Amino acid sequence: MAQIKSVLRDLLDDVLGLADSYAVTLKHLFRKPITEQYPEYKRLFAERTRGRIILTRDPHGEERCVACYLCSAVCPTDCISIEGAERKDGRRYPLWFRINFARCIYCGLCEEACPTLAIQLTPDFEFSKYGVLDFIYEKEDLLVDHQGKNAEYDYYRHAGVSVEGDKGEHINEKPPVDVKSNLP
Amino acid sequence: MWWTLGLVLLIIKLTIVISVLFGFAAYMVLVERKLLGRFQIRYGPNRVGPFGLLQPLADGLKLIIKEDFVPRSADRLVFLTAPAVVAAVPLVIAAVIPFAADFTIGGTRIPMVITDLNIGMLFVLALASLAVYGVALGGWASNSKYSLLGAIRGSAQLISYELSMGLSLVPVVMIAGSFSLVDIVNAQARLPFILVQPVSFIIFLISAMAESNRIPFDLPESENELIGGFHTEYSGMRFGLFFVGEYVSMIVLGALTTVFFLGGWRGPLLPSLFWFLFKTMLIPLFFIWTRATLPRLRYDQLMHLGWKFLLPVALINIVVTGGVMLLMGW
Amino acid sequence: MPRLVIDDLEIEVPKGTKVIDAAERLGIMIPRFCYHEALGAVGACRMCAVKFIEGPLKGVQMSCMIDAQDGMVVSTTDQEAVDFRKRVIEWLMINHPHDCPVCDEGGQCLLQDETVSSGHGRRRYPGRKRTYRNQYLGPFIAHEMNRCIHCYRCSRYYQEFSGYRDLGPLQIGNRVYFGRFKEGRLESPFSGNLVDICPTGVYTDIPARFKVRRWDLQRAPSVCINCPLGCNTIGNSHYRAVMRVEARMNPYVNGYFLCDEGRFGFSYTNGGADHAQRPWNSRISGADVTVEAALAESASKIAEISAIYGPGAVVALGSTRNSLETQSMLSRLCRRKGWQGPVWFNDPAIYRKVRSGVERLDSGIAVSMREIEFADFVIVAGADLLNEAPMAAMAIRQASRKNATIIVVDPRPISLPFEFRHIPAAPAQIERCLGSLVKGSISKDELKGFDSSAKGFCKALPAKFEEKESGISISELSGQLMSAKRPVIVCGTGIVCESTPAFAADCAQLLRESGKKAGLFYILPGASSFSSALLSGPETKTFSEILPQIEEGLIKALIATESDPFWDFPDRERLDRALSMLDLLVVIDYLPTETVKRATVFHPSSTVFEMNSTFVNQEGRVQHAERVHVGGVPIWGAHPPRIIRNFVPGGDHQPAWELLWKISAETSMLESVLTLGELIAAEIPVFEAVGHSKYPITEGRIIPENSEGSFVKPKASPAKGQTAKGFNLLLTDTIFASREPSAYADTLASVFPEATLFMHSGDANGAGLSEGDMVSVELELGAIQLKLSVSQRMARGFLFLPRQRGIHWQKMKEFSAWIAPERIRKI
Ligand code: SF4
Ligand code: SF4
Ligand code: SF4
Ligand code: SF4
Ligand code: FES
Repeated sequence: MAQIKSVLRDLLDDVLGLADSYAVTLKHLFRKPITEQYPEYKRLFAERTRGRIILTRDPHGEERCVACYLCSAVCPTDCISIEGAERKDGRRYPLWFRINFARCIYCGLCEEACPTLAIQLTPDFEFSKYGVLDFIYEKEDLLVDHQGKNAEYDYYRHAGVSVEGDKGEHINEKPPVDVKSNLP
Repeated sequence: MWWTLGLVLLIIKLTIVISVLFGFAAYMVLVERKLLGRFQIRYGPNRVGPFGLLQPLADGLKLIIKEDFVPRSADRLVFLTAPAVVAAVPLVIAAVIPFAADFTIGGTRIPMVITDLNIGMLFVLALASLAVYGVALGGWASNSKYSLLGAIRGSAQLISYELSMGLSLVPVVMIAGSFSLVDIVNAQARLPFILVQPVSFIIFLISAMAESNRIPFDLPESENELIGGFHTEYSGMRFGLFFVGEYVSMIVLGALTTVFFLGGWRGPLLPSLFWFLFKTMLIPLFFIWTRATLPRLRYDQLMHLGWKFLLPVALINIVVTGGVMLLMGW
Repeated sequence: MPRLVIDDLEIEVPKGTKVIDAAERLGIMIPRFCYHEALGAVGACRMCAVKFIEGPLKGVQMSCMIDAQDGMVVSTTDQEAVDFRKRVIEWLMINHPHDCPVCDEGGQCLLQDETVSSGHGRRRYPGRKRTYRNQYLGPFIAHEMNRCIHCYRCSRYYQEFSGYRDLGPLQIGNRVYFGRFKEGRLESPFSGNLVDICPTGVYTDIPARFKVRRWDLQRAPSVCINCPLGCNTIGNSHYRAVMRVEARMNPYVNGYFLCDEGRFGFSYTNGGADHAQRPWNSRISGADVTVEAALAESASKIAEISAIYGPGAVVALGSTRNSLETQSMLSRLCRRKGWQGPVWFNDPAIYRKVRSGVERLDSGIAVSMREIEFADFVIVAGADLLNEAPMAAMAIRQASRKNATIIVVDPRPISLPFEFRHIPAAPAQIERCLGSLVKGSISKDELKGFDSSAKGFCKALPAKFEEKESGISISELSGQLMSAKRPVIVCGTGIVCESTPAFAADCAQLLRESGKKAGLFYILPGASSFSSALLSGPETKTFSEILPQIEEGLIKALIATESDPFWDFPDRERLDRALSMLDLLVVIDYLPTETVKRATVFHPSSTVFEMNSTFVNQEGRVQHAERVHVGGVPIWGAHPPRIIRNFVPGGDHQPAWELLWKISAETSMLESVLTLGELIAAEIPVFEAVGHSKYPITEGRIIPENSEGSFVKPKASPAKGQTAKGFNLLLTDTIFASREPSAYADTLASVFPEATLFMHSGDANGAGLSEGDMVSVELELGAIQLKLSVSQRMARGFLFLPRQRGIHWQKMKEFSAWIAPERIRKI
């Protein structure tokens, strides 16, 4: 008897549970939808939103990217290709830099990996085209004339190589060792 | 000339029933999407035409002009015919459903059913089992593992639930004393069977949901794990046929529920056709509501529900009904 | 054999094994910076700290400094050791610059790896970083001293291992600096190894500078084909270009290292910096055509000529840079089609020297470079190692470090990175010198024990050889040789007499009979001379012998497979005339040679980086080079086009053997020869033993157990002293500039040695010339101008002219020349 009772209680619970869920959905039926009507209404996105990618410049207006290949290595869809080269003054830079936006999934890992803060994702997401080749952005398309999210950072001021300033002139460096001197 | 008139009438009735069914099915898709939207506090489709009313047309157009793709390793003939089976079966079932009170023109009584079969209910059950062929063959002929898995699930599920569906209808037949759907409707002149046989009704409703592969019983399709189940490899209008078939069968199941439990076309004041359509629509709407509410069952839960719950309850229900009838001397 | 336990695993190692090596055998890689198997341990970096828990030693110790001993229980993961290593990394990073993004070592940097794995990530030290100024070290190696962690690997390698003194540590304490006293190109032709050996990015390679990261490279084991040693390499390619070549450890051949020619001489495969220097496309009479058209043209023309003039009017040229596959195919086709050839060599003398040498190698007497490292007496006869086979010099240097006596008998002004006795004997005197040296080392008792042929040979050896100028006493050296246990004779095949290779083998054999473990090591003229010799017989002709037939019009068609007569035939004009008489010149090659320019039909073939190929080095060692990449015109240097193509530009090349098969129109070839392995085994029976269908052939030596060669009675050497007044002009090799294919690499062009003529200082005085003069030498077919270099340490009466790119030595007419004194003028 007790068994039957508990079975019946379980059944009742189940039925009530079902009824509850039906009630919840029914209630939603009469709420006002929260959908925003894009494109009639466009909301503002946060700076950190991950949309179209740009290559920024350092505070001197030089390309920040040093063609370190970290972004292309980390990219899960392998959509970044680069060829590094050396400028006359020893600066390492990408001879060309190509992102295939048809493959990019806007995960932002490239931005996270970039040691020079060169590659940054922007809130621009309205990005559709008819030809798939039009999605291949070259350095000319990616490079912008500002510093993006971080105005200050200048990688070469922190590095040890002499591109901006001689040895010992970078942040937190001692003057170079004089190997021909015997003074302590 | 009696048979010519009959033929003309038949054709008229056929045309009306088929177009109404297809029309309803098409708009049922829109209704479902809209309702689902609202259930989820969204708008649903609202871009094509006013309130998205032209959406079904756009969908149909899209499906028709899409490439009709047949996988290279598929069994071509079977692959091509399977969707037709799925779409045709509910249409044929519709033939035995009385959709309004009889209609009299110039002394001639025109029955508002395409054909009143004296074994209508057996016909319905038999055809309902046929629908599984579309699913099974479509899945098998695609020669893809997802499709095959979907097809196998579909067959297992339909076979399991057919049983309880059939059993749930036995008390109805017992009380009505006839297999003819017209007779069953007439037997409910006093009381709709939903009141007499609530347990049967619930079993039938659940089984009907399972028969039409609707959430929470959409295991054969289950997008998350099987991509699209038995119709994974289909595209264009062939996929469309599977789709339409599902909605038509939803409506037909609604009509059957109406006939078996809701008193058919009977109703006060308003014309019988209205009552029939109104009651018929209630069931798909309930299905949609369920879709918005319940998650998909696991395979073992599905089997458990079918075999360990619905089947025994249906059997007990038959025994109890029989006992009561014996006692009451019906 | 001490037994010890490392991280709960037990191992028994030979006595003297360091704990760090014992752990490596167990598969436990203890972090290290300064320790290197080839360089030994100094304990400079403190990175290899492990904890000794039980045994003769307790506590945290440097595993590279401690010999494994019985009963030691070592933990590499003990918290104390882990903490210790973490601190070490943190100390090292105190002065390490924030350079990884612009450092070419990034991605293959030991310091990076150890820093990341130690978990050090945040700088706690607020002080300033030490900095250094960099130096210019030549066109191959970039210097960025800030990144140094003072492990001393570079100086130990450069000074101790490779024997050069111009790079090393300066200063003391925290200011230690690794570099040259004065800026300038590194003197060592083995400087590229600094890139591999430095655990950080202080030395990075310039040809690939900033271009690539290790993880982007397609890498495959390859073999260097610039000299006969066949050093093992790793080819690295990216964007269809070979970016860099690294050493692949092979204990028997090159150990961990490579010479600069092998490491940097690869750009020919990319067509140079502008990618235009390689012939990428098939051509008919100079115009680009499709692969199929060219193949059809060759096939039909060859068939036509064979039909009209007979198959003997077709000659197939091979070379000593062909792969074994190509050589086997050439040999097979010549036999089946009735063509003349294959012809492997230009100079009949060189051909006979190579053959007589290869015949005498057997597994008892042939030594690998590894065995040379352990020799205690090395005689180099007629070989300029640094210029002919650089890594062999490195092997002898290791023997020299172990106090071996090194004697070089060579007329040239040899320089080598170790101490050696130089006997500047004229080529004709080399045998005399070698013979008397060996004879002096045979004691009377030993002589008695010899069989008659050995006895006869020994008796016939010249008893005395006195080199007045060098003042070296042969008898003293003979005494040393007598007590040596593992003497090695290294014999060249270039300037020596025709009988010398066999004579050297006899001498080595004699030393063996006298109970020493004597070895023999030949320096042959090309990457696959050994297999060329295997594939030749007594009737095999050289190109010089074929040439008259062309001139007489008997030969109508020439198929030159990776073969360029212009490269080493001494009479350019005659060659030009002869080739223009041909009806058909089919050229299969990957280098932009002179012959390619004259080709009627040209087919581009694959370089060693673009195909699977096999090469047999001079000691008979079979080595397989895997395909590194598919190849094609590299994408480097310019923006890649936005074109979707279904072909690879410049991707038409095919392995030479495949092209040969196709132009031979031998359709049944595939049916009769199933696999490359079977093709090779069918042509060279020694491969039978390796197993027919096995391809690639696994590494091993294909020399017989016992060679048939027996002692040849030495000829009486010609009387010393010259009758006519004048100079004998001989051609020699020089590193970087005189070998195919590396001489075509534009990366090496900047280090080509200046065109120099070598002359004895006594002779120069007599002619009124001095060091550094520009001279004009009137050769048979015209004059050439070049710099004069004089030396006391060379044979009198000889002039040596490097056979290098850019010197028009092809005016000589013959392979050697007699130059009357008045034909050398100062200008
Ligand atoms: S956002 Fe992600 S997918 Fe896109 S380029 Fe960056 S790493 Fe690649
Ligand atoms: S990670 Fe940054 S600096 Fe490095 S290649 Fe990418 S964009 Fe350039
Ligand atoms: S040496 Fe290694 S750790 Fe140092 S900057 Fe270069 S890559 Fe980074
Ligand atoms: S330069 Fe490199 S190899 Fe030499 S001491 Fe410094 S880190 Fe070690
Ligand atoms: S590896 Fe042992 S101290 Fe450097």
